[in-house]
Amino acid sequence: MTLIRQYSGVAPLVLLFLLPLALSLVLLLPGLVDAGAFLALSQHPQLSGALRLTLLTGIASTVLSLLLAVIIVAQSNRHLQQQSSVFLSVPHLALAMGLGFLMAPTGLLARVIAVGFAGWTSPPAWQTTQDPFGFALIAALVLKETPFLVWAMASVLQQDELRQRFGREMIVARSLGHGAASAFSRIVLPQVLRRTIWPIIAVFSYGMTVVDMALVIGPTQPPTMAQLVWMDLNDGEVLINGRGAAGTLVLSGLIIAVLAVTLLLWRGLRPLQRLWLTKAARRSRNPAAFFKVVWPVWLLVYVAVIVSLVLQSVSPRWPFPDVVAPVLSMAAWLQLLRDFSPLWTSLGMALASSALSLAAVVIWTETQPQKNDRVILFAATVLLCLPALLVALGQYRLLLLVGGTGTWAGLLFAHVLPVMAYVIVMLIGPYRAFDPRWQAASHGLGASRLKYLMRVKWPMLKPPLLSSLAIGFAVSIAQFVPAQLAAAGRFSTLPMEAVTLSSGGNRALVAVYALAMMLLPLVVFVTASWASRPRWRAA
Amino acid sequence: MMLELHAVSLALAGKVLLHPFSLDVAAGDIVTVMGPSGSGKSSLLALIGGDLPIAFQSSGDVTLDGRSLLHKPPEARRVGRLFQDDLLFPHLTVGENLLFAVPGFPKAERKAMMMTALQRAELTGFANRPPHTLSGGQRQRVALMRALLAKPSAILLDEPFTKLDTPLRVQMRDYVFAHVRERGIPALLVTHDRADAPRDGRVLEISGDGVLRDV
Amino acid sequence: MLNRRHLLASMSASAFVPWLGRDSFAADWGAIEAEARGQTVYFNAWAGSDSINAYIAWAGEEVKKRYGVTVSHTKITDTAEVVKRVRDEVAAGKADGSVDLVWINGENFRAMKQDKLLFGPWSEGTPNYALVDVAGKPTTKQDFSEAVDGFESPWGMAQLTFFADGAKVEKPPLSMMELRSLAEANPGRVTYPAPPDFHGTTFIKQVLYESVVDPAVFASPADASAFSSYGPVLVSALDELHKHFWRDGKQFPKAQADIINMVADGELLIGITFNPNEPANLVAAGRMPATTVAWQHRKGTIGNTHFVAIPANAKAKAGAQVLANFLLSPEAQAKKNDLKTWGDPTVLAVEKLSAEDQKLFTSVSAPGSVSLPGPALLEPHASWVALLEAAWLKRYGQG
Repeated sequence: MTLIRQYSGVAPLVLLFLLPLALSLVLLLPGLVDAGAFLALSQHPQLSGALRLTLLTGIASTVLSLLLAVIIVAQSNRHLQQQSSVFLSVPHLALAMGLGFLMAPTGLLARVIAVGFAGWTSPPAWQTTQDPFGFALIAALVLKETPFLVWAMASVLQQDELRQRFGREMIVARSLGHGAASAFSRIVLPQVLRRTIWPIIAVFSYGMTVVDMALVIGPTQPPTMAQLVWMDLNDGEVLINGRGAAGTLVLSGLIIAVLAVTLLLWRGLRPLQRLWLTKAARRSRNPAAFFKVVWPVWLLVYVAVIVSLVLQSVSPRWPFPDVVAPVLSMAAWLQLLRDFSPLWTSLGMALASSALSLAAVVIWTETQPQKNDRVILFAATVLLCLPALLVALGQYRLLLLVGGTGTWAGLLFAHVLPVMAYVIVMLIGPYRAFDPRWQAASHGLGASRLKYLMRVKWPMLKPPLLSSLAIGFAVSIAQFVPAQLAAAGRFSTLPMEAVTLSSGGNRALVAVYALAMMLLPLVVFVTASWASRPRWRAA
Repeated sequence: MMLELHAVSLALAGKVLLHPFSLDVAAGDIVTVMGPSGSGKSSLLALIGGDLPIAFQSSGDVTLDGRSLLHKPPEARRVGRLFQDDLLFPHLTVGENLLFAVPGFPKAERKAMMMTALQRAELTGFANRPPHTLSGGQRQRVALMRALLAKPSAILLDEPFTKLDTPLRVQMRDYVFAHVRERGIPALLVTHDRADAPRDGRVLEISGDGVLRDV
Repeated sequence: MLNRRHLLASMSASAFVPWLGRDSFAADWGAIEAEARGQTVYFNAWAGSDSINAYIAWAGEEVKKRYGVTVSHTKITDTAEVVKRVRDEVAAGKADGSVDLVWINGENFRAMKQDKLLFGPWSEGTPNYALVDVAGKPTTKQDFSEAVDGFESPWGMAQLTFFADGAKVEKPPLSMMELRSLAEANPGRVTYPAPPDFHGTTFIKQVLYESVVDPAVFASPADASAFSSYGPVLVSALDELHKHFWRDGKQFPKAQADIINMVADGELLIGITFNPNEPANLVAAGRMPATTVAWQHRKGTIGNTHFVAIPANAKAKAGAQVLANFLLSPEAQAKKNDLKTWGDPTVLAVEKLSAEDQKLFTSVSAPGSVSLPGPALLEPHASWVALLEAAWLKRYGQG
């Protein structure tokens, strides 16, 4: 009986996640032996430029995000975790589009400067988007990934037992004569970093392989490796497709190589680290004033991005340098309302994939012993750290094999995989940490398992349950590459529509779609945090 | 009503915690089992209550009123529990915590039972208070009333006084023992503190080699 | 299923058999229309333009009303994606493919035709094909010098056209040489979209045509050894232009649509389009000022025809033919030709239409219409595209 329950409890996660993931990865293997494709890739005139650019954008965005996240986390703020989770809901693509509208030579910023100070009548020759070094792409990535790292670190810092221990250790360090910054960076930071290594790797992997953001705001001559690969994968020629697949593998190899080099450097520099960690105490070093404003500035940039998106969305014609377009029109919004299908598809996919993932993970944890969690945590971590392009390609091959492209089920499957990975990583910790004595106490009061789950466990776990549902929802809304491949043109989701529209240059409509992509997850986030607010303020 | 343990033994990962022993607890009796932490005394209660983790191995049988408990799901065993922590559900009010334990009666009757329990906990008027606004002693009283409201056929007391400070502890012991005895159900208390055991009750101790002996 | 496909193929092939009279042909078409009823046609078409999307939506409604065929516009960014998708599906043995009709021409057509990814021949069997101006518009039979052979149905005409705000550009440059001078005088205000955007590729072809003595060589299939002499000519001509172009010719806008926005914003001076009526359309839509002028180069610019084709594994082949036939009807062609809707020039021989139908094609000159037309030059053979793009990428793909 228990055995049956245990095995049936495995089924959802195995069928929805582990098996498809494994098969998708296996289907990539033939590409490894396609020497011709690798040869063709090596002869691609843009290869070396694209690799250089990818290394620059990937490494710079990760290092900067990490640095900024550490600075923000060090300015201990009790609400950091909650505040940063709001940023998690913003899709990368929408942010890149908004940032483009803000920073471009004809963007809001240039208009404000033109009208307010410079008196320009034609747009300045700024290289603020599509700049050859990918700085705009780096900026967009940093803007998006820093809150994610802040969230990951804040989650570590807010685990009860760690928070108490870190607090005590800080007091000890300060009693030994270290200033707050010194004590934090020597005592707490190394421990936090060790626990956030996977999120950091995920950020790096994302920065190295992002397609949709690079298409919108990245350079083209040469493009990043991910763009190069994406174009090849979508080409009409078989040989070029093979070259794209080879490029995906090279990109994955590059990520692994950078990580390996980083690890070796880290090990090699350990004596230096020891030296620094044990260096004499420094009393005076308190955080610079600049550090304190980093987090508020974040909020400000996001607000500016949203303002420029809103302005753009109601400005069908917006001659430079007007700060407000001569005629404001809701035409683009009406067009979104007229063609509801991308909105519905995205909404349906997001609701279904996040709910399915949540259910599968809950069923798993309710039926499996904790030691089995290693398997799914490993799979989820692998998925989050592998280039999304690579996984999407494997997924697409799997779908082609079973004839699932262009079907609802296929599209849902494409969304479930990444969503499930996030839900696993987010939920399993808090779910397992739930004190088993609540169950003993409930059963002792005669409550059935169902009553215990419905009245005690799930209500008490509402915050992590709902926030992982909301994150899953946001992850689903943001999916572009796997969705585009799986949809086979039969379905259109918000990011697919937005990328298509951005090739057509109707900026008002692009802004509308970017805003829709931002608003849906935001609504879910706000609802989730409203629904999981504590019934009363804890003592 | 009688709680009987027949040749019960406990082991964890091959290491014997408790060698087979038998023990009868009669209705209205409070039997105390003492032992240092890690000796398996809490696991013994978990075995009876039905939430022993899979990693443990056990043998023997536990019966209540002559019927074996071990194959019943935990909620059907009618065995109440009190823990070190009061374990009042933090998202429910004091009154809702009590109602949670009241079996299915008409609504008005359930409410009346809840109000009586509150009164007996000397907490009339506290029904709508969140648990965290109560003192430690008040919460432990609510926890006891909640356990008793479920009409258990036996009650297991898992070091329920450990977290209280000394003057309160004396009060709580008297309060808990009085109410358990009044209910006339068998009670099994585990503790590491000799002072927690009722003066007139039977007291056993788990020795270092896992054998249970009368003190 | 196999039988039905054979039947369909023989039906459309029958149009080529001279001894079959018009009556039996009509009966065949009747069978296709009957089969089409109730089918859903997934029309994969570039969807970057609102006016085009609106036109396709209109055509879909009409076809639904008249023939009971449902049209679903699959919005795509690049036709190459469709070629890839069909290829993947055929390779995976998927018989009921996701594409029923695709908007296509040039190298994408050549790739699909060569690799037997297209259904056909069928296009010359549709009733309205008889109205196509095959004599006056030879590109309706030769798509980038590749024989059409009934594998795609002509839809619209295109010719490389430039436009600008006449208030800012008083004397339109009527050759690449003049464009270079204009760019020199206004550094950073001229550019073109990066290939493989087809406007970009066409711009490069145009530069090539204006840099070699006899462009006729490009009509035959590509010859890599011959290209070794043309490549350097092209590169040095482009180098000359790029010096004065936007961002020193090191970065290029990604799409033609970006160019239009940049011209409208004043970031660029000269716009590029493949649709001679697009500038007028932009004026009508309020996106460009009424002072807009449009022109073609004095010695001509590259022109071509765009088509619709049916993939070999299409599910709704009959429905797709019915839609293609409707798109060729005088009514649909005239509406497409209208500046207020799309402004895409017709492939029909207007003078051969009935007087009533001719009235639909009222050609009034509107602000932004081409005021300095040039002759249409034939596209180079499709096989040159890969060589040109590779040469471009090698020289300019690295910033």
